[in-house]
Amino acid sequence: MTARHRLSRRALLALPAALAPLAARAQHMDAQRATAFIQSTGEELVAVLNSNAPVAERREQVAAILRRAVDIEGTGRFILGRWWRVATPAEQQEYLRLFEESLIRNLASRFGEFQGVRFSIGRSQARTEEDVLVTTLVERPNTAPLTLDWRVAEVGGQPKIVDLVAEGSSLRLTQRSEYSSVIQRGGNQVSALLAAMRAQNERLR
Amino acid sequence: MRFSPALAALLLLFTLGACATRPPASDPEALAEFLETNDPLEPANRAVYAVNGVLDAAVLRPVAVAYRWVLPQPVRTGVRNVLGNLRGPTILANDLMQGEMQRAGITGARFLINSTLGVAGVFDVAERHFGLRGHSEDFGQTLAVWGVPEGHYLYVPVLGPTNSRDLIGFGVDSVLSPWFWFGQGAAVEALRYSRVGVTVVDAREGVLDTLDQIERTSLDPYAVIRSGYRQRRAAEIANTGFQAPEAAFGTGIGVGPGLPSPRREGAPAR
Repeated sequence: MTARHRLSRRALLALPAALAPLAARAQHMDAQRATAFIQSTGEELVAVLNSNAPVAERREQVAAILRRAVDIEGTGRFILGRWWRVATPAEQQEYLRLFEESLIRNLASRFGEFQGVRFSIGRSQARTEEDVLVTTLVERPNTAPLTLDWRVAEVGGQPKIVDLVAEGSSLRLTQRSEYSSVIQRGGNQVSALLAAMRAQNERLR
Repeated sequence: MRFSPALAALLLLFTLGACATRPPASDPEALAEFLETNDPLEPANRAVYAVNGVLDAAVLRPVAVAYRWVLPQPVRTGVRNVLGNLRGPTILANDLMQGEMQRAGITGARFLINSTLGVAGVFDVAERHFGLRGHSEDFGQTLAVWGVPEGHYLYVPVLGPTNSRDLIGFGVDSVLSPWFWFGQGAAVEALRYSRVGVTVVDAREGVLDTLDQIERTSLDPYAVIRSGYRQRRAAEIANTGFQAPEAAFGTGIGVGPGLPSPRREGAPAR
């Protein structure tokens, strides 16, 4: 426990240095570009969701789209938050792998629900210096339409999705709270989260 | 609305309940997160959450499933509209107390139109024919607008996620409603109790899919609901950033777990 305290204090001192490359990486995101990106990614996704291909094939296609469109590493690190620096390099790698897998499996497990889905772009607004929130209206048969906001940032010169906001609730904030809670309840061990994620991915298989 | 014994028992539980350990100042990040989570009564809250989960699985959820199964969508929408319309005066009072005159005007007009042309609120004529979209308000939001902090996060039976401020707001809203004061006798009492019963069933049916989804995919549903509730309340209080829940869904009770809120089928979203 005390060792971790020392570690986190040291980590805190090193924070400005660690954040410098992040700040350099964050560039101004053009609202029009972000909207066009969400439009094309959304069309691709909807086409796969509505296709009649076998589930396994659709899952592969969805996985490819997500890997391309989502800043999996950045978002994964944001969600792990303060525990990222507590985790060993091996745990970090394992975590990112499980995180990507859970994204894909979660969506794949809901293919049935998304049958017949349609979406349209709503108003789009720049929220901060670095990212743009693109609003979409998602409609499914027999279900109330849903407003989903996609937070798009420029990562490595490409627009990438970094968050999904449903009715005022940010997915990455919710998930950070969820993961941190699992770690704390598992005796402040990142391995407790990894075990839970592994079990979860197994269940969604 | 006679909650006193249950409420007293609840307060007792929270006072007796163990508190979550506050991280030491030597761990600033853990402390920051502890303060941000705002759940010092977590052990007691989790205990209530667990008990409530058992009761929910045994009673509330099956009733909500049956309700959805037995009544067709248009009937359920009508029920939801009636409940929303009954909350009209409460929403109006809160609009006024927040100084939101334009929103108060909309709420007042909606109540008049829907109570008459909408046949006691069954049909949302105000939105369909007059373009007056409903919104929700409650006294918890009014307190927030007045600058009252949220207090601690609380998880209470049946109502679900809330906090000290919103729980007080819920109590005030019940008393603020004209339906609390008008009429007497067995028939009126019976109507009052039925309204509470139907509200609970309607609210539970509204979050059926969302809660099932959280239960199925979350590693810690309690933490997800807590985070979702707080974020959604912040957005509701700001009246911006997302589509406000329609009048009918603001049951005023904290059943909104933060993910997609219940909404009438077929209602235009923005």
